[in-house]
Amino acid sequence: MNPELAHPEERLNRSWPYAPNAGFYDEMVAPDGSLRPYWRPLINPLQEMGERAFALRWQDGRRLIHENGTTYNVYTDPQTTERPWPLDPIPLILDSVEWAQIETAIVQRATLLNAILADLYGPQNLLRDGLLPPELVFPNPAFLRPCCHVPVPSGVYLHLYAADLARSPDGQWWVIADRTQAPSGAGYALENRLVSSRVLPDVFRGAHIHRLATFFETYREALRALAPGRKENPRIVVLTPGPYNETYFEHAFLARYLGYTLVEGGDLTVRDDRVFLKTLGGLLPVDLIVRRQDDTYCDPLELWPESILGVPGLMQAVRSGTVTVANALGSGLVESAAPAGFLPALCAHLLSEELKMPGVATWWCGEPAALSFVSQNLSNLVIKPAFPAAGVPPIFGVRLSEAEKASVLEEIHANPRAFVAQEQVALSTVPVWEDGRLNPRHLVVRVYAVASGGSYSIMPGGLTRVTSSLDHLVTSMQSGGGSKDTWVAGKGPPSQFSLLPSVSPRLDVSRATFDLPSRVADNLFWLGRYVERVEAAMRIARTILPRLFQESDLTAVAGVMTGARILAGLGYARQPLAQTGNSLAALERDVLGLVFDHEGRNLAWNIRQVRRLGWLLRDRISADAWRILNQLEQQLPDTAPPEPFRISAAQAFLDEAISTLAAFAGLAMESMTRGDGWRFLDMGRRIERASQMVELIRHGLGFECEAESGQLEVLLQTADSLITYRSRYLTSMQPDLVLDLLLVDEANPRSVAYQFARLREHVDQLPGGHASIRRSAEVRIAISLLTAVQLAEVRELECTEPDGRRNRLEALLSRLTTELRSLTETLTREYFNQAAPSRQFSVP
Amino acid sequence: MNVRVRHTTTYLYREPVSICHTEVRLAPREDRSQRILEHKLSISPPPGGTFGHKDYFGNHVLYFSLHEPHQTLTISAESVIELENAEPLEPGLTPPWEEALGDAWLQEEGRGLKAYQYVFESPRITPGPEFADYARPSFPRERPLLEACLDLCHRIHADFRYDQQATTVATSVAEVFKTRRGVCQDFAHFAIAGLRSLGFAARYVSGYLRSPDLVGSQASHAWVAVFCPGFGWLGLDPTNDQLPDGNHITLAYGRDYSDVAPVKGVTLGGGEQVIDVEVLVEPAA
Repeated sequence: MNPELAHPEERLNRSWPYAPNAGFYDEMVAPDGSLRPYWRPLINPLQEMGERAFALRWQDGRRLIHENGTTYNVYTDPQTTERPWPLDPIPLILDSVEWAQIETAIVQRATLLNAILADLYGPQNLLRDGLLPPELVFPNPAFLRPCCHVPVPSGVYLHLYAADLARSPDGQWWVIADRTQAPSGAGYALENRLVSSRVLPDVFRGAHIHRLATFFETYREALRALAPGRKENPRIVVLTPGPYNETYFEHAFLARYLGYTLVEGGDLTVRDDRVFLKTLGGLLPVDLIVRRQDDTYCDPLELWPESILGVPGLMQAVRSGTVTVANALGSGLVESAAPAGFLPALCAHLLSEELKMPGVATWWCGEPAALSFVSQNLSNLVIKPAFPAAGVPPIFGVRLSEAEKASVLEEIHANPRAFVAQEQVALSTVPVWEDGRLNPRHLVVRVYAVASGGSYSIMPGGLTRVTSSLDHLVTSMQSGGGSKDTWVAGKGPPSQFSLLPSVSPRLDVSRATFDLPSRVADNLFWLGRYVERVEAAMRIARTILPRLFQESDLTAVAGVMTGARILAGLGYARQPLAQTGNSLAALERDVLGLVFDHEGRNLAWNIRQVRRLGWLLRDRISADAWRILNQLEQQLPDTAPPEPFRISAAQAFLDEAISTLAAFAGLAMESMTRGDGWRFLDMGRRIERASQMVELIRHGLGFECEAESGQLEVLLQTADSLITYRSRYLTSMQPDLVLDLLLVDEANPRSVAYQFARLREHVDQLPGGHASIRRSAEVRIAISLLTAVQLAEVRELECTEPDGRRNRLEALLSRLTTELRSLTETLTREYFNQAAPSRQFSVP
Repeated sequence: MNVRVRHTTTYLYREPVSICHTEVRLAPREDRSQRILEHKLSISPPPGGTFGHKDYFGNHVLYFSLHEPHQTLTISAESVIELENAEPLEPGLTPPWEEALGDAWLQEEGRGLKAYQYVFESPRITPGPEFADYARPSFPRERPLLEACLDLCHRIHADFRYDQQATTVATSVAEVFKTRRGVCQDFAHFAIAGLRSLGFAARYVSGYLRSPDLVGSQASHAWVAVFCPGFGWLGLDPTNDQLPDGNHITLAYGRDYSDVAPVKGVTLGGGEQVIDVEVLVEPAA
């Protein structure tokens, strides 16, 4: 039967039961129970598909979210700062006719708020003419006096604007909040679209949904046009407060998507009146800063002295017109709810138009009439601070006891100017998919506008957020709400058939090789080190495990003892063992502890460092690399399985995880551009591998041992060089030959000499490498390291003292350890950003 | 009469400072009681460039940054100022204080709106009922504004002790009220808190004193101005219990100290720091 001929609403009720609550507007189902027609392109195919197939597809979608590492941070959760992004598979669908009205209303509102900012930071005619009470501006901490009369290219204060919209039971849309500082969520909206169009590609194509990509193109173009000097290719950076911010994922995602460099305050510096990006190659001028942090934090010199996130001197650069900040510093002023009641009059005055979409009814208690209204109607109102105040939750009058009401009113009367009251909108509902059922939830849609050619363009869609339950009154990611993709249903195929562009940055082509921020180089270097450290630990564990259960002849025992010494030498075991049965049990505990014990600075800790650094480098490493690093942490068993399975579980994990690391190494070799980023990653690797190998040789060959072949075999196997050795020397095990292979042989990628040869090449390519006739410190250390092993005579190193120790070998190894350490120190000093927090002058 | 003011600020750091960003407000404003004849600023080590502008309140600001490691920073300002001998104002001639309350004159053409911003809380001063209660006895009904303000200064001067050890630049007004000790900055902040809590527009003035007999002449000084419709801003010096009378040289003004700090800076590195300020005011030819 042709589904078009069926009654979709009946079918909906039969196979996808959904019962919206009376009393609210439901986005999908009309009051008479029929499906709203513009939902058909979604619901009809879902009917066809059936719940089970849909559930399967959605599994795929969740995997995608997981793999993309889409997360947001929860401030109150100290354990895990990131949580997976909560996306619901059923999009919100809006009719294109209705959308056109929303669009003009939001363009108008963005234009209006921009005009208000231009006046308040300029002539202040609105205050003079009595259109806006000065009490809303002068004491408002968001009114930043240093931002008055500074140049703002083309008068654009709001490059990106967002409004939160809610629909009341009569179907009317209301603006319930404005976001004018650094509106978040546009990146999440894009990510939601990426996932929902992957889960429902057929549905998506059939429904003729407006595409989001053009919006980001417009945004990029708008930013380019507003950089000072109208350069062809301005340097644009995205300024983030850092990885602990709620929406850091989005900062990294947008930076990568738009092709901009993601920076923290410490990556930028102001010289004279110009902003520069600190890179390995020196200072590069910055033309435009897309800020994702509140304006007060942006300059500790002129804005907020306590800020450690800012760029001292930024305000002066803005004043001199050498850099554009988007959104303009100071634009948080129109984000507060207090002026809402004055917008209709301001709109008439500034734009000679009627306000097209009402703001939710707002009473600023600074007006006597409003104060008396609020006193009498508190039960129906939401009380908020008049000026933006972080962390102050709204107070819902309906939830207050009589005593609480009295105390709230007392507080308001003590300082009425500081409060606003808003009507509580009965938010509309939309189905969410939950445990195989459709349940109604309240929603708020955030829509985005970007400045473009003297006006604004709207993202055809937005970020829909839903409450965590029907009783919840606010949609908040912080308190467990969810999100949805937002579809604007088109008529016929979209006119601009632009597929989502790939996530690779487009402006990279012309980049110089040395524009890597020092902080990023630092993180890449340590990512390389930790990856290698993890691998070394896993290889030693993997070598020891099977030997614990072998026939115990002398050779096997020597092997186990060597393994134990190496384990202890690397700090993963309590102490080297005496040769008893008991101590074998202790060794087993140590090796299994390495895998299953997650306390202390062991393997799990190192893996977490890998994951953390990967997270910090989200905008720098490929999605594949990120997925692999994510996998590594997931492979780590959460808890130890019961006794008989422990050994095999540990063995399985080690095999799997070593392959995962090999995949990461392969990606780094085959897919990373040979720029400075790769170079620092690889230097970290080489230094760590050399250090691990030096330790391995020290604890494995430091002294003569009775059953030498067992000792040497463990060493070779841990060093992943056993096959090479056997192919050369068959079964004959000699310390000097092993030393040659592990220490001196530049052809063995596991040998110390190989690492030094690579390091030697790397340091020559560093920005300080060719600059001067004098060799840089890092070049001198690398030469010294390489020559030390090239000149080493393995026969001599093998010689033992009467007590069995190999003192000459030890002397060489000590020297290598010291020089490796000083190489790290030198690189740190010369290239990494040791940005100690800046401090204020003290005052007499 | 001409005076020369030398104002030297020296920072000594235990560790080298690699970068510093600095903002100074050391060039005196001009107004009807003073003209600036000369002003020069010297900075050591010398910065690459300096950038001047006027801030929101009309004060002269100079910005510079240093990017070479240094352990000493010296900023010296030298100004020659011509002081006008203004006729002293007869306090009894000012209008009753009720007419000077903020909302009474907001609509006054020209300066009304500009003055109005000094009615509200500011970064360092949050008005409150306790300050209003302290100030109120000086304001019986219909008393001329300046007379009432002078009485307030007089009471502050009597109730509070000038004590350079009692407070730091970060001490809050509430704390000063509790201990009743402080320096000119604290006296000024407290007076402003009282005036604003009653609804007056009051601002903070930083500057220098010419007469060696007055408290605070060896350093930069701070006092208060209150807005009076028809008269404009009227100065009050609670530290010396008097009206500024030709001995006061205005440097800058704003809502409180945070708007007018003579030197502000942010450094990278430096460790422990010692700061030394010298102010010298002498007659000039």
